[in-house]
Amino acid sequence: MTTTRPLLGSPMTRLEGREKVTGTARYAVDYPVDRVAYAWPVPAAVARGEITAVDATAALADPAVLAVLSYENAPRLHDTDDRTLAVLQSPHIAHRGQFAALAVATSLEAARGAAAAIRVAYAPEPHDVILTRDHPGLYKPDEVDEGMPTDREHGDFDTVYARAQVRLDAVYETPPLHNHPLEPHAATAMWDGDDLTVYDSNQGATAVQHVLAELFGLATGKIHVINEHVGGGFGSKGTARPHVVLAAMAARVVRRPVKLALPRNQLAAVTGHRSPTIQRIRIGADTEGHVQALAHEVTTQISALDGFVEPAAVVSRVMYAAPNSRTTHRVTRLDVPTPSWMRAPGECPGMFALESAMDELAIACGVDPIELRVRNEPTVEPDSGLPFSSRHLVECLREGTRRFGWHDRDPRIAGKHEGRLLIGSGVAASTYPVYVMASHAEAHAGPDGSYEVHVSASDIGTGARTVLTQIAADALGVPLDRVRVRVGSSDLPPASVAGASSGTASWGWPVHKACTELRQRLEALGHSVPEQGLTVAADIAEDLDDREDYARHAFGAQFAEVQVDTVTGETRVRRLLGVFAAGRILNPRTARSQFIGGMTMGLGMALLEGSTMDPAFGDYAERDLASYHVPACADVPEIDVHWIEEEDPQLNPMGSKGIGEIGIVGTAAAIANAVHHATGVRIRALPIHPAVLMPPLAGARQASPS
Amino acid sequence: MDFLRPASWEEALAAKAEHPTAVPIAGGTDVMVEINFDHRRPDVLLDLNRIGELQEWEVGEETVRLGASVPYTRIIERLRGELPGLALAGHTVGSPQIRNRGSVGGNLGAASPAGDSHPALLAAGAEVEAVSVRGTRMIPVEEFYTGVKRNCLEADELIRAVHIKKADGPQQFSKVGTRNAMVIAVCAFGLALHPETRTVKTGIGSAAPTPIRARAAEEFLNAALEEAGLWDNGRIIPPSVARQFAELVSGAANPIDDVRGSAAYRRHALGVMARRTLGWTWDEYRGNERSARCA
Repeated sequence: MTTTRPLLGSPMTRLEGREKVTGTARYAVDYPVDRVAYAWPVPAAVARGEITAVDATAALADPAVLAVLSYENAPRLHDTDDRTLAVLQSPHIAHRGQFAALAVATSLEAARGAAAAIRVAYAPEPHDVILTRDHPGLYKPDEVDEGMPTDREHGDFDTVYARAQVRLDAVYETPPLHNHPLEPHAATAMWDGDDLTVYDSNQGATAVQHVLAELFGLATGKIHVINEHVGGGFGSKGTARPHVVLAAMAARVVRRPVKLALPRNQLAAVTGHRSPTIQRIRIGADTEGHVQALAHEVTTQISALDGFVEPAAVVSRVMYAAPNSRTTHRVTRLDVPTPSWMRAPGECPGMFALESAMDELAIACGVDPIELRVRNEPTVEPDSGLPFSSRHLVECLREGTRRFGWHDRDPRIAGKHEGRLLIGSGVAASTYPVYVMASHAEAHAGPDGSYEVHVSASDIGTGARTVLTQIAADALGVPLDRVRVRVGSSDLPPASVAGASSGTASWGWPVHKACTELRQRLEALGHSVPEQGLTVAADIAEDLDDREDYARHAFGAQFAEVQVDTVTGETRVRRLLGVFAAGRILNPRTARSQFIGGMTMGLGMALLEGSTMDPAFGDYAERDLASYHVPACADVPEIDVHWIEEEDPQLNPMGSKGIGEIGIVGTAAAIANAVHHATGVRIRALPIHPAVLMPPLAGARQASPS
Repeated sequence: MDFLRPASWEEALAAKAEHPTAVPIAGGTDVMVEINFDHRRPDVLLDLNRIGELQEWEVGEETVRLGASVPYTRIIERLRGELPGLALAGHTVGSPQIRNRGSVGGNLGAASPAGDSHPALLAAGAEVEAVSVRGTRMIPVEEFYTGVKRNCLEADELIRAVHIKKADGPQQFSKVGTRNAMVIAVCAFGLALHPETRTVKTGIGSAAPTPIRARAAEEFLNAALEEAGLWDNGRIIPPSVARQFAELVSGAANPIDDVRGSAAYRRHALGVMARRTLGWTWDEYRGNERSARCA
């Protein structure tokens, strides 16, 4: 049994691509279901307060309306850690847009009509929704991102910074950002006795299964979560979301299957987002640019229902050698929608700040920004003192230098004109940790020579199904077409979420392990498969425990060339180049798409994206894709992506690092640095809108002697 | 919600007379969004898609009579010569799908200050053919817009066509948005040179409660062009004149701060667009003059 070329590393096309482009792939509310009812939520119309009355009379007058649920009559749920899931359990409203009621009807139109006819009365309370650097509610959280220390201190930052020859002290800000996957959060829920089946758009069927079991007080085996195809998530579907709880609750009450797809204009309030951050960075260095002291202090917010604390300073514990350092996170609780994960939480906003600051330091020291980073390359991970399993940041910078033509760059600021356009280029580093989470898989050999591999993985559009098939076929030593990988159901062996760029490692490892063992057992049997087939199950929990201590991260370098119109203030990106070192690239086709997608999202973050908190009403002003601008094709130049062959035996049997998120890390800084190079204007608060760039640009032009 | 589908224009007028609150719908690119967002909930929708004549246009001696439902795609492909400003504006509307459905009649019906066709109509000169069972009236487009998303149509009237002056000189359209496509204007500007009458007309979008002309800017420029004999001698417009024109255009606007942009940036951008479109059109005019003389 031979294959003509190695399966790992081959550019296999996406297995479900045809289904997706022909529209036959089924998403959460696409499944035909008999006697289905439809649910439409009613968002709270105050930013904080109590519901005093729910009048459903008019809504229930329509015979098509099956039920109106509110805290008054909704089934009681058990508690979970995630308070955003305690839907319709209390009259208290924690933020505008939180669900106040739910209409269920025999048609989508009737449900929507009923939702509009429900009268909810509130006793509003004063609200506080705006984050400031000196917000009185700021406090030190116990930890950030489930187990990372809130603060770290090495050496004596204050003294060394005060004595440094070169000092930089700057504040960077990132706005609230929304994930807005193309498929909204949606679910179809149906009960069969005490068995609940949900087709749900999520990033982890097993995780959602466990949460639903908790909420409804059932054994996990009673809950079946199917997420065969998912139309994007970017973190916002990484945990169970309120819509799936509402759908399951409604289905139980009306004793019929229920479909609930959140309308786009409700997503911003209830499906998570990236919190705004205010980041102060101070760097003390010698005149050669060697960083001696580094402080990265983050101020951010959570909601009254808790939520994710954006761990933006963590990157400063990884990136550069700084013998004296301080990294801190302070957070305040506001009456806002609950923040959650968005692509590269922590790293993405954190690296905008750190990599902008490094650019400022390079200019202050008169050192090339690439050389500056090379000079501050650490020998071990600065915070932990652990050796890196592999770190090829310098190689990425060097390779990018060559490919981008960086050596031809004139370092002078605002030195390159083309008519009214100013041209500039910038660089920034990328980084993302290598995570792997305990997961299970099963491999089954059929008597006909076919193989089936089961793992409760989630393919959210990344190509996971395809790459897992490559891993399985490679481990089995058989051609791809002999292997069928089943993912997307909690009835399959339990597996971790498609998050933290960990899917390929976390699922691929047990797949590899099960397939390797199956191959060995078949070889021992002389390749004769028993009539009932042969199944091998694998669990990697012990393998994870046995791993040696290393700092495991992927690295990269991003280069941007921009043009800034001096008359209108418009910034356009002309070129983007990313060079990454992320272990072994298992599928160059899907990997390239991941990198390009991440960098495109980073371009959006730099120039376009941002949600505006309305201080009077307490909700986000942008609630559709006409006002929340993601880049259109016309905004995106050709994006050039390369990677460095990286051998790292300390990762997993495939030798891979996660690549789902690193592409967005650093892009915004590279673009902001390029804008500075082009114009001399440093924008420290994203996005770089024309209206933001224009006044300083006009000022700089007037001030310039020419 | 009742859904009426008249088969002829007469039936449509009768239906509108009978149901004055009926909301006409053609491409649906505005109305359906408003319904989807629950911004409006009409009791009657009047579907005009079966009325073929609304999709037609006639090129006359002086004007193009453009059926209310002619989609932007058609204007771009077929009427670029007669209506260059409108064709340029049409290019910036939404996406190809939206341009296949959206129409000038719809833009007028919605009367959003951000509608892309308004500045071009104002600059070219246009009249709206408003019809009811009572008869027809021709409304100069300047008088058509009465407030934010409001127009002067009576409850029983429908827009049958727009009569737009055929270009007698170069026209330009410029729009600022925060991305390169599928974007609602932060502000927009249309400019048309009318060599036959030796006038310049303008249109400002998304920078006041309604689309407006920058009349003081037009008057200043008309006088300046006349005084220097520029229509005849074909010289370049002095930078001071262009600058003053741009300032007057900025001053004509009455913008607000919103999530799409600040009032200050809108004023600034309008000045830039005014100067640029004037430069482009004047260069084209001079080029034409020169080639005409050579011929």
